[in-house]
Amino acid sequence: MRLAYEYGGALMGGEALQGAALAPVAARLDRLEAEAVYILRELAFYERAALMFSGGKDSAVLLHLALKAFAPARAPFRLLHIDTGHNFPDVIAYRDARAKETGLTLIVREVEESIRRGSVRLPSPTASRNAAQAVTLLEAQQEFEFDALIGGARRDEEKARAKERVFSHRDAFGAWRPRAQRPELWGLYNRHIGVGENMRVFPLSNWTEADIWAYIAREAIALPSLYYTHTRTVVRREGLLFPVTDLTPPREDEAAEGLQVRFRTVGDITCTCPVESNARNAADVLAETLSASVSERGATRMDDRANAAAMERRKLEGYF
Amino acid sequence: MDGGAFFRPAQNWGGEQIRFMTAGSVDDGKSSLIGRLLLDSKALLRDQAAGLDGEDIDLAALTDGLEAERAQGITIDVAYRYFATPRTSFIIADAPGHEQYTRNMVTAASVSDVAVLVIDVARVENGVLKPQTRRHASVAALMGLNLIVAVNKMDLVGWSEQRFEEVRTAFADVAGVLGLRDIAFVPVSAKRGDNIVHRGAGADWYNGPTLVELLEGAQARESQSGGPLRLPVQVVLRHGGTRSYAGRIESGAIRPGDKVRVGAAAVEASVAQVRVGGVGVARAEAGVSVAIELAEDRDLAQGGVIADAEVRYARRVVADLCWLDENAWTPARRYRLRQGALETQALIEEIRYVRDMSTLANAPANALKLNDIASVRLGARDPILADLYAELPGTGAFVLFDPDTNQTAAAGMIREIVE
Repeated sequence: MRLAYEYGGALMGGEALQGAALAPVAARLDRLEAEAVYILRELAFYERAALMFSGGKDSAVLLHLALKAFAPARAPFRLLHIDTGHNFPDVIAYRDARAKETGLTLIVREVEESIRRGSVRLPSPTASRNAAQAVTLLEAQQEFEFDALIGGARRDEEKARAKERVFSHRDAFGAWRPRAQRPELWGLYNRHIGVGENMRVFPLSNWTEADIWAYIAREAIALPSLYYTHTRTVVRREGLLFPVTDLTPPREDEAAEGLQVRFRTVGDITCTCPVESNARNAADVLAETLSASVSERGATRMDDRANAAAMERRKLEGYF
Repeated sequence: MDGGAFFRPAQNWGGEQIRFMTAGSVDDGKSSLIGRLLLDSKALLRDQAAGLDGEDIDLAALTDGLEAERAQGITIDVAYRYFATPRTSFIIADAPGHEQYTRNMVTAASVSDVAVLVIDVARVENGVLKPQTRRHASVAALMGLNLIVAVNKMDLVGWSEQRFEEVRTAFADVAGVLGLRDIAFVPVSAKRGDNIVHRGAGADWYNGPTLVELLEGAQARESQSGGPLRLPVQVVLRHGGTRSYAGRIESGAIRPGDKVRVGAAAVEASVAQVRVGGVGVARAEAGVSVAIELAEDRDLAQGGVIADAEVRYARRVVADLCWLDENAWTPARRYRLRQGALETQALIEEIRYVRDMSTLANAPANALKLNDIASVRLGARDPILADLYAELPGTGAFVLFDPDTNQTAAAGMIREIVE
């Protein structure tokens, strides 16, 4: 909090962070960047690696780092998005524009298609499709024979993620086996996989949410605009703000209101809630993040609130 | 794929960062100690701390993340946790105490600056430490970690100074055999929160630092930037007609114009360009991921090393091994060795001895099984860097992979060069 208040203005400009007064912050981000670049370069080992790119902030940072890691050559990855069909249009537009800018091939596979095929069956048409993503992801992995999938997950997000390796081996069913995790020593990663298996790789493992926002500010990484303050029609429910959309209409007894909000995460519309905020840029968000009192998944992800072990169970089934 | 934070962001998030690991024998109270660290340093956000302010809070429930371990009541894997004090931010690598998961402690140790070893004072009888405690101390010694010993459950022995001193004396004997120096001891009660973050109602005879004060004073591992240059090449980048060699500097520093030696033949070359993130820089040092262009056309491939003029290579070394695989080693087995960015074949030619963890004596052996710690002579098909782990940890370390199962079989540290 102290840092953000003192240096909030300076954080807005990328160059200001290079100044001597901010040496500890710059050194910290440099160290995280060097580590992530090292991990991304390890992926040159694979024949067909894909970087999971949803247009969310973590995947935006991941893509930025991937371009840096292989510059001046081209990053040897394709981009993959598993689209629930419940994404904010703003995020999808950003995803497509960013992919085009980088010149990397973007592959989109839709949960909708898995539903048509019958491999996914939902309890209701408006139910959250987050869990169903695992099925579509596996189908995409098999279709393209991806041997490595790169994700932006961080260990600070959730208890089950806190136990994840950087190189996380998955069997032919895409399942994570927490008891059979390979020991991971000194950054001497074990990249080997057997026939039909694949590796999930998490270069941002050691980053925290504050690190992500500070890095976005320093590197001037563009994001979908709904990460910053905007007016949105919401209803108050169970202590959260629920966005009012076609998929998520207000209930009969609820009054919709217009508030200044921003999204802290941008997942499936049916299970992602905004928070009240006046943050106009990444430096403002960083300041708010450093004074947050509720963990982010607890605040905004209904699917995690359902059960303490929800994430772990989804990971066992092949979720990122 | 787009997540928020589970842990409270550190207030001094821009400050110094210490990475430490925790280890302890089963039931010594390690999970409770971590829970106490997180709770009292206010690392938990409001929704996670809900219902945790009573007297009999389940501190371990805060740290045991997996359903399986909740079911068994034990911690089974390495987990990473974040907290901060006003001076320092910390990453905890929480390693399990259960014997068959010692390999996870080795994993945690390899990414830590210092180790906290938790001992239940009430379970040290007649000044004898449990075998697992000796094993954990032994791993810390092997991996060159400084050690903080938290003597836990002091409330159960009425804060007896004599019982505390017994543990200290017992540990000093073990430390002497292992060559561990600079060990700090602190009497604590994780359950009551005494001497963890707050001083609490502990012993009047103890005026030393709390656990958190000891951690704040711990040194991050020394920077390797003053050492000889070691830059293992992860990938060769081709753009237009030129090649750049990309990798992370494990030791030393590099500038445009530097004379270097490349590959196992140690061929002389000079540095034309140093890039970080695609941008040219005047200098880069240990820890930085760079891409190097050489002025000359040299035969250097992925797995090769850019080094200084004094670099030496070896085909046969003496190394300490921690065996991590459920499949035991037998003389017929060949392994894949990874050092830096190089993978080559390796053969364990001789087991010099296996360390008996109860007596800390060295015993002859002709097999290596899960959790064994051994000294071996090892031969490599291709030349490897002749770097000693004690001097150059980045390249003096290696791992062995089983080529049939793809499991990570062993962690190794080079101790002597044979040829």
